[in-house]
Amino acid sequence: MSLTIKQLNVVIGQYHILHNLNLQVKSDEIVAILGPSGCGKTTLLRTIAGLQKQQSGTISLNNQSIQDMLCEHRGIGMLFQRPVLFPFKDVLGNILFAYQNKKFWNRDDVHEVMNEMGLLGKEQQSIETLSGGEAQRVVLARTLLTNPDLLLLDEPLSALDVNLRRKIAHEIRAVLKSRSIPAIHVTHDIAEAEIIGDRVLHWKELQRGGDDEE
Amino acid sequence: MKAAVGRGVPVALYLVLILVPLILALERLMFVTGVNPIQAILHLDEHPFGVDAVVFTFVQAILSATLTLMLGLPIAWWLGRYEWKRIGIIRAALTLPFVTPTVVAAMGFLAMIKQGGLLDSIGIDLRNETGVVGSFSSMIGVEHSGHIIALLLAHAWFNLALVIRFVEPKISTLPPRYENAFRMLPIGHSRLNRLTQFWWPMLRTSILSAFVFTFIFSFTSFALVRWLAPNMWTLEALMAVEGGAAGIPGYRVDVSVLVLGGATLQGLVLLSALAFAGRWQQKQSNEIELVSENFSRKYIGKPTTVPRIGVVVATVYALTPLFLMVLSSVRIRNRTSESYRWSLDAWDYAFRGDLTYASIPEALTNSLVYAGGCLVVSCILGFFVAQSIHNLEQNGQARFAQLVDLLSMLPLALSGVMVGLGVLLGILKIWPVLFSWYALPILPHAMLTTPFVVRILLPAMREIDSSYDDAGKVLGYTTMQRFVRIKLPLLKPQIVVAAALSMAFSLGEFGASWILMRSGAWDTLPVLVDQLMSRPKYFDLVEPIAMATATILMCMTFLLFVIAERFRSHQGGGF
Repeated sequence: MSLTIKQLNVVIGQYHILHNLNLQVKSDEIVAILGPSGCGKTTLLRTIAGLQKQQSGTISLNNQSIQDMLCEHRGIGMLFQRPVLFPFKDVLGNILFAYQNKKFWNRDDVHEVMNEMGLLGKEQQSIETLSGGEAQRVVLARTLLTNPDLLLLDEPLSALDVNLRRKIAHEIRAVLKSRSIPAIHVTHDIAEAEIIGDRVLHWKELQRGGDDEE
Repeated sequence: MKAAVGRGVPVALYLVLILVPLILALERLMFVTGVNPIQAILHLDEHPFGVDAVVFTFVQAILSATLTLMLGLPIAWWLGRYEWKRIGIIRAALTLPFVTPTVVAAMGFLAMIKQGGLLDSIGIDLRNETGVVGSFSSMIGVEHSGHIIALLLAHAWFNLALVIRFVEPKISTLPPRYENAFRMLPIGHSRLNRLTQFWWPMLRTSILSAFVFTFIFSFTSFALVRWLAPNMWTLEALMAVEGGAAGIPGYRVDVSVLVLGGATLQGLVLLSALAFAGRWQQKQSNEIELVSENFSRKYIGKPTTVPRIGVVVATVYALTPLFLMVLSSVRIRNRTSESYRWSLDAWDYAFRGDLTYASIPEALTNSLVYAGGCLVVSCILGFFVAQSIHNLEQNGQARFAQLVDLLSMLPLALSGVMVGLGVLLGILKIWPVLFSWYALPILPHAMLTTPFVVRILLPAMREIDSSYDDAGKVLGYTTMQRFVRIKLPLLKPQIVVAAALSMAFSLGEFGASWILMRSGAWDTLPVLVDQLMSRPKYFDLVEPIAMATATILMCMTFLLFVIAERFRSHQGGGF
């Protein structure tokens, strides 16, 4: 699966956040985008996911145009800055949110992904008792079970301490590579970007005219 | 687009439900009287009790609100400042009166003030105004002052919870550092300065809101006035009793003028009061950050003797009328010998329905059917109205959102009797056959409870983080799936509270039901109590049967209150 963005423009209110932005993510590639807070990184990811309206430009996933699709039909997974877990469900309940019809959940897949994320034994645990790192692992496990064509990582580790951030960054990279999921990871932490990304792009370069791969 | 239309339909339906009966009723009254609503206010003196009712309504409402604040503020202060064991139980006991149906409250107070009751036995005869009360009446030269005192005490009892609900959370969740910082300043050294320069600005919006809501409830009180001050008229009581003759061309035009003028005056006063309260509450929100109530309480520590005694007295005051009411259903006075006997005969009669058209099981069934119907209608309509207001706010249409919000609150500015008369006169015009429809009382009940559902759900919707919806979208959930699997579970506590409260309000609703059903197969528990109390008391079981019926109603309401209380948040200080 590859992603191609051409001439993307996003205006929010009176602010022109994304200006003729171009970006290419190859099949199985993880692109890290580095930029300061408030520069528009999150807006870019939300636009790709379909959570933010765009004014013009095209977004194609595996050569199929998706910019007019609803978010829920795009097949894109996303990890937000703050882990979004549903407070009325325990760990397993949150992970099973990956299945739109709970009747069809696959026990082996769930067991495998929970094992991979180090969550076995925490199935019945309340999400309020999870640490920040564990919470993001639950979200990642849930997202992986949806088999996304592309994963968007919106500074998911920013709330963690440095050591844990490095550790989970390595884990995320390993998981994505083992499943061959292409991803865009935005962050303001150079070290984190270098750990996760196959390629690191600076926001200024993107805004100047586009992806250096073009 | 589809979703917008889907949401618009319930909002339009709700507005039609509220507005059409009222507009039609207004039109009919204007046709019969030949005057407009404002002119009708000026013609209130045409009815023999019109002016007296207006004066007494205002005076008793202001006195009731003042007395409630005087009694409630120290309790709220002590509860909020100190660390109490079992605060949940104390708070629930003090809140009980407010969720008590007004008919039950009236029976409870009657049990306390009646001849041979608790107050009479210690020489305070508020009912027949003999002894000390009689002397006091002669001294101040006010007729029926015993009845008025009983009414004011009952209003204060009923609304005490409002003061506590509004003020106590403000005190208990205020970070102690604010007060500490103020105490460090020269101006904060004196207790009086702390009270006037620190606590008053902090609490005034809550105190004024509590005053306004107590005023509103006292202004529109009906059952308490009817049974505790039978010789006095408030607008609500007068309109209820006389309203049956309104709207008939050429017959008792003074009554139509009274209903038109009284309802207009009442609506204007209540709308103004609500507008003031709404403005203060808006100011109150987001003024300062709050902390956990336990944190703040622990900082001050355990209560001293005076607060302990005060809270115990208040709790006894809150529970005594209810306890005496239950007691009066089994303690039966012999009409001839002035002695009492203990017996379950009244309960037996009540369940058989020997003295009334409906027995307790029949009236309970009616009450539950109406409450269930009201729950369904008000929760569905209230949810969609709240959702529409929230969507408008999110889409930047703040003014339109405010307009819908204001219209949704309109029934709060109407009393039960006004809504009952509106339905009576409105439906009479468009579809008279509805009067024989068993489910008709659901309409006024839903009109009265839907605004509460909106007021409970709207703040909860505003608080839900939009990231939950975003997470649902990126997981591939459709709008309906997100609604069912994410939004509803997130709102579940507030939905349960709204459902329980709307059921409880419907069970205890008296004014509109009294107007619409009087006597027959539709009788609800409050109407049954009123019927029994209206009978001559030659038979010594009449009053105990009414007390037994009121006890059943109280138990049903309290069950719903316990459910609501389990899910209610105690932060913030609101309704």
